[in-house]
Amino acid sequence: MANLTLRNLTKSYGSTQVLHGINLEVGDGEFVVFVGPSGCGKSTTLRMIAGLEEVTSGEVLIGDRVVNNLEPKERDIAMVFQNYAIYPHMSVKKNIAFGLRSSSLSKPDKEKRIQEVAEILSMVPLLDRKPNALSGGQRQRVAIGRAMVRDPAVFLFDEPLSNLDAQLRTQMRLEIKKLHQRVGNTIVFVTHDQVEAMTMADRIVIMKDGHIQQVGTPAEVYHMPENAFVAQFIGAPSMNMLSGTLTVDGVALDAGTRFQTSQTSGTPQDVMVGVRPDDLTLEAGNPVVSGIVTVREPLGHETLIYVDTPSGEIIAKASGKTPPEVGAHVTLSADLENLHVFDAETGLALR
Amino acid sequence: MTLYRNLTIKQKQIVWAWSFLALPVLFYGVIRFYPTGTAFVISFQEWNLLGSRTWTGFDNYVTLWNDPVFWKVFKNTFAYLLIGTPVSLVLSFVIAYHLDKLRFMHNFLRMLYFLPFMTSAVAMAWVWRWFYQGVPIGLFNNILAGFGIPQIEFLNSTTNALPAVLAPAIWAGLGFQVIIFMAGLRAIPVSFYEAAKIDGVGWWTVLTQITLPLLKPTMVFIVVFSSIGFLRIFDHVFNMTTNNPGGPLNSTKPLVLMIYDTAFNGFNMGYAAAQTVVLFTILLIVSLVQLRLLRSE
Repeated sequence: MANLTLRNLTKSYGSTQVLHGINLEVGDGEFVVFVGPSGCGKSTTLRMIAGLEEVTSGEVLIGDRVVNNLEPKERDIAMVFQNYAIYPHMSVKKNIAFGLRSSSLSKPDKEKRIQEVAEILSMVPLLDRKPNALSGGQRQRVAIGRAMVRDPAVFLFDEPLSNLDAQLRTQMRLEIKKLHQRVGNTIVFVTHDQVEAMTMADRIVIMKDGHIQQVGTPAEVYHMPENAFVAQFIGAPSMNMLSGTLTVDGVALDAGTRFQTSQTSGTPQDVMVGVRPDDLTLEAGNPVVSGIVTVREPLGHETLIYVDTPSGEIIAKASGKTPPEVGAHVTLSADLENLHVFDAETGLALR
Repeated sequence: MTLYRNLTIKQKQIVWAWSFLALPVLFYGVIRFYPTGTAFVISFQEWNLLGSRTWTGFDNYVTLWNDPVFWKVFKNTFAYLLIGTPVSLVLSFVIAYHLDKLRFMHNFLRMLYFLPFMTSAVAMAWVWRWFYQGVPIGLFNNILAGFGIPQIEFLNSTTNALPAVLAPAIWAGLGFQVIIFMAGLRAIPVSFYEAAKIDGVGWWTVLTQITLPLLKPTMVFIVVFSSIGFLRIFDHVFNMTTNNPGGPLNSTKPLVLMIYDTAFNGFNMGYAAAQTVVLFTILLIVSLVQLRLLRSE
C-alpha cells in the first residue's frame, strides 16, 4: 500500500512559519494536485514529503510508516523536477539508469527495467542520445523515465510542465494522466496552474499562505468552493464578486438588485456574492447586475465582455457570433442556484 | 558626415567596432606581434645587442641541442609543469569543494585564499626565502628544531630546491583557481544534487559522476591557464635564488631564467632568441594537446 498521510505538518525558517499544520490523506493510486499562488507552501510541502526539507513538526507517513527521519532514498519515492535535472553529460539511457544505481537488481534485470520504461514512454530510439539533442518534451519524458524506473510507491512532480510551451504543456498533461492510468502509482503533483490542476487531478489541494484552503475533486472545488479564495482561484476567467447584504429576505446587492437565496440571516450581514462569468448571461432570467460594455475579448466560440457596473467591473460571456457592441447597456442574469454567497469578512461560503 | 549616414546599419556597426578595436590592434601589432616576429628572425642570427647582426643559420639551435645546461633547464621546466599543475588543480578543487559547502566565515576564508594571488610575487618570494633559512632565522627549520628534527636545506640542496621554489608558486596561484572552481561549482543546478539524493547515490558517485564531469570546462581552463603559468615561471625562482640564480647546479633554473641569463648577462641575443622560440613552441604544443585531450566531444 502506498498511501500518503500528512499530519499537522509545519515548516519554519527561523522565526518565519511558512506551513501551518497541513493535514492530508492521499489514498493508494490517487492523483493529487497541490495548487496555489507562488509562496503558498505547495513546493515546500512536496519537498518535505521527498525528504529534501526537514520537517519542523508533524508527521509524514508513506505507506503507514513515519518517514520524518528517513533519507530520501529510503522513502520509496521518486521526484520529477521543474528543470528536469537530467544530466547533460550522460546519454538518455545512462540518465534513466541513474535512478537504478543504488538498487540491488542484477545487471540484466536493470537493463530489462530500462527497456520497459523506455517502451512505455516510447523513447527506445532516443536511448543513446544526449539530452541536448532532445526537445523540451522529450527531456521531460527522460526525467519521468528516471523516476519511473525505480517503481516508487509515490511519484512527486514539482511543477514539471512550467518550462514547456503552451501546446507541449497540454500534450504532456495528457501523457502524464494516461501514464497514471496505466501504472497506477500514487502521484503528488505541484503546479501553480489551476487548469493543470483541474484537468489532471483526482483530488485538488488548494493552498494559500501555508494553509490548505480546500481539498476536493475538481467538480467539488469548482462548484462548491468553500471560500472566496478558492472560488476566485479556480476557473478562468475568475469568479465575479459583488458586495451586498444578507438579511432574512435574502441578498440585497449594493448595486440595488435583491433576490431570494437559500441562505438567510437574522441580523443583516455583509456578504460577497460570487458568480462565474459562465453563469452570467444576457438572456432574460434573474437579473443580477447591469452596466455598460467596455471591452470585448472574442475567443471564437464565445466572447468575454467586460461590463462596467455599480458593483465594479464584471466579466460575462456572450455569444461568439453576435456579442453586444462596446458601449451597449446590458443586463446580466443568472440562475439563483449558480450564485455563491460568502461572508464578506471571513470569506467563508455560507450555505 | 553624409558618407557615414548613407552606410547600412551593418556597415555602421563595423565602422564602430573597428574604431574601438584600432587601439588594441595597433598595440598588439607593435608591442606583441612585431617583437615576436623579430625574435624568430634573431634566433637565426648572432647579435650582442650593440654590434651588427650576422646570419648564422641554425647554429643557435645546434648549440642549444648540445648544451647540457639547456637539457637540465628543459627538465626543470617540465618538472615545474608536471608537479605544479596537478598539485594546484587538486588542492584548489579540494579547497573550493569544501569552501562551497561552508557558510561560516565563507567570505573571509575566500578572501584569505585569494590574498596570495594579489600579493607581489617578489615580496612573497622573499618571505618564503626567509621561511626556508636555517636555524635561528628560518621559520620552518625553527619549527623542525623544536621537535628535534634535523635541519633541512631547502634552497641549498639540489633535490629540495625545486620543490621548495615551486611551493610558494603553487600557493600564489591557488586563490585564483579556487575562485574559478567555486564559480564552476555554483553553476551546477542544485536540483542535480537533489535528484541524486532521491536516487540514493553516495557522495563519491555524486562527485565522480555529476560534479567532476560538469566541471570539465572549468578544469580545462584551469589546467591550460596554470600550465602556461608554470612553464613561464620566473619571478619566484629569480627572487628566491638571487645570490645563485637558478639554484645549486642549476637545479631550479627554468627556461625563462635561462633566456634572461643568456640575453642580459651573456648578451648573446641570438642564442636567447632561439631559446625563446623553443619555449614558445613548447607552450603552443602543451596548450594544444591539453585542449584536445580535455575538450568534450
